[in-house]
Amino acid sequence: MGIFKRLLQFASIFFTGLAILWIIKYAYSFSDYLIPPPAELLQVATSYWKIYLAAVVNTTAVAIAGHFSAILLATLVAFLGRSGSVIGNLTRTAAYNLQAYPIVAVAPIIFLFLGDGLASRLLIAAMICYFPLLLSFIGIFSEPVDQVEHFFRTTGRINWRLELAIRTFENLDKITTVIVGSGTMAIVGTIVAEFLAATNGIGYTIRKALYQSNLAKILVALFLIGLFSSLYLSLIEYIGGRIKMRLMGG
Amino acid sequence: MKQFPRSHFILSLSIVVIVALTLYLLGGCTKKDETTRNHMTGTRKNPIKYRLKWLYNASFAGDIWAREKGVFRAHGLTVKLLEGGAEQDAIKDLELGRVQFGVASADQVIRAVSEGADVLVLAQIFQKNPLQWIYNQKRLTINRPQDLKGLTIGITYGGNDESIMRALLKAYGIPTDSLTLYAVHYDYNPFWKGEVDLWPVYRNTEGIILQKKMQKANWKAGFFIPDRFGIRFVANSLITSGRIYREQPALVKEFTQAVIEGWQAAMDPANLATAARIVHRFDTDTPLAIIKQQLTSTRTFVTPEGKWPMGRIDRAAWAQTLGIMSSQGLIKREIKLAPLLAGPPP
Repeated sequence: MGIFKRLLQFASIFFTGLAILWIIKYAYSFSDYLIPPPAELLQVATSYWKIYLAAVVNTTAVAIAGHFSAILLATLVAFLGRSGSVIGNLTRTAAYNLQAYPIVAVAPIIFLFLGDGLASRLLIAAMICYFPLLLSFIGIFSEPVDQVEHFFRTTGRINWRLELAIRTFENLDKITTVIVGSGTMAIVGTIVAEFLAATNGIGYTIRKALYQSNLAKILVALFLIGLFSSLYLSLIEYIGGRIKMRLMGG
Repeated sequence: MKQFPRSHFILSLSIVVIVALTLYLLGGCTKKDETTRNHMTGTRKNPIKYRLKWLYNASFAGDIWAREKGVFRAHGLTVKLLEGGAEQDAIKDLELGRVQFGVASADQVIRAVSEGADVLVLAQIFQKNPLQWIYNQKRLTINRPQDLKGLTIGITYGGNDESIMRALLKAYGIPTDSLTLYAVHYDYNPFWKGEVDLWPVYRNTEGIILQKKMQKANWKAGFFIPDRFGIRFVANSLITSGRIYREQPALVKEFTQAVIEGWQAAMDPANLATAARIVHRFDTDTPLAIIKQQLTSTRTFVTPEGKWPMGRIDRAAWAQTLGIMSSQGLIKREIKLAPLLAGPPP
C-alpha cells in the first residue's frame, strides 16, 4: 500500500472518529470536561505539538530499535527451531509456552532489574512483537518448499543456507505481512512500557494527561501515534517490496 | 454524471450506522437514568449507583459501612457501590448518567467545573489530605520545608502531589533547581534502592503498609506532611450533579445523611473491629490487622477538629486549593466556589 494512501486512510479514520465524538458532544450537550471542543483541541495542538512530536519521535525510535532486535532474534531462534532435532523441538516448545505470558505481567520484573529507562522500554517493545514473529518464522522456516527443494535435495546440493534462502524467497509476502503486523505491536509495546514506568515518550505523556483528565492532549497524542505508525509501516512495506523486486531481478 | 464510487458509499453508510448506533446507545444510558429517576430511592434491580474514587480500601470505610450495615436501607435507599480507579472518573460517570453520586478530590472537581461540568459538592469526607511523603528517618532529618533542599523527591507528574509539592516550594521560596524532582510510578523500587529520598503516599493506606516494610528493613519511617506547613489541598469529597440536586433534593439529602452516618459509625473507635471486618470483605488483599491500623489513621484525617460535624466543607481549604490550581495554570477559567460547595439540600 502506498504511503499517501495509508496516510489518507489514517486521516480519514481519525477525523471521522473525531467528528463522531463532536456530534455526540453537541447532540447531548456534554461538557468540555467530558469531550473537549474543537477550539480546545486546536489550542492544545498548537501549544504542545513540539513536546508531543518529540515524545512520539522518541517512542517510534525505541519501537523501531525493539522491532529490529525482535526480528533478528526471532530469525535466529526460528532457524534453530526449524529442524526436527532435540534443540529444534525444545525451542519450539519453549516458544509456544513462553508466549502465553502477558508482557504487562512480566513488566514489573523488567522494571525491577533494568529500571525505568531506555533498556526496559526497548526490551518490552521487542518482547511484545517477538513472539508473533517467532511463531510465524518457525512456521515458515520449518515448512519445506518441496517443488523447489526436491531438486537440490536429490542432487545433494542442499545446505542450510540454500534451504533458508528458498523458504524466505517463497514466503516473502507472508514475512513482510508478519513484520508489518509486528511493527504495530512494537509501537504498542513501547507505549505500554512508557505508560507503565517510563519518564519519556508518548505513553508517558498520555499517562500525565490522564491524571489531568485532559482528553484534548490524549487526542493530539493519538493523532501523532497514528501518523508515525502509518509512516513506519509504510516504510517496512516499501522495504519489503524493494527486496522482493531485487530478488526477482526486477 | 460522475458515479459515486461503491467503496465511498459503503464508507459513508458505515459512518452513518456508527453515529446512529452510538447515539442510540448513549440514549439508552439516558433512558436508564430516567428509570432511576422514577425509582428515586433505587431498587434492587435498578439501585442508586455510587462511584468511589479508588479501589476498595480503608479510605472508603464510611461508604462501605453505610452499604453493609444497612444505613442506606434505613434511609430508604438501595445503593450499589462501584469501585474507582485510575481510569474511573466519578464526574464523567455523573455526566453520562451512569451514577447518581460519587467521590472525587477537590482538584478533579475544580478542573471539571472550570470546563463546564455540572457538579456540586455535598460533603467533604477528608478534612485533611492524607497525601504525604514518606522517608527514612535514620538517614534524613526533615523538620521544615527548607530541609528538602538537595534531596530527590518523588512526584506523580500531572497528579495532585505535584501541585501540592510545587505549592509548598513556592510558598517557602525554595527554587525547584535546588532539589531533584523524580517521576514516580507504580513500583517503589527507586525508594528502596535509595535513588529517591521522599516518596508520595497516602498516609492512611499505603503509608501504613510501607511503614511496616521499612521497620522490617530496619529503617525508620518519617512522614513529611504538607498540611503542617500550611498547604491545604482538599482530598475526597461527596459529589452529585447539579441536575440531580435540583430535581431530587430529598434523595440527595437522604443520601448525604446516610454517607455521613456511615462515616460517623465507621470512625467510632468502639466500632473499629467491625469496621475492619467490613472493609476486609471488600479489600480482601489487605490483612485485617493492617486494615485496623489504616482505619485508625483514617480517623485522624476524616474527623473534623473542634466541634465541626463530620463531612463539613472547609471553605478556606477549598479556596486555597483553587488558588494553588489557578496559580499553576491548571484550570482554564476562574470559578466561583460558593455555588459549587452546596452541601446537602435544606
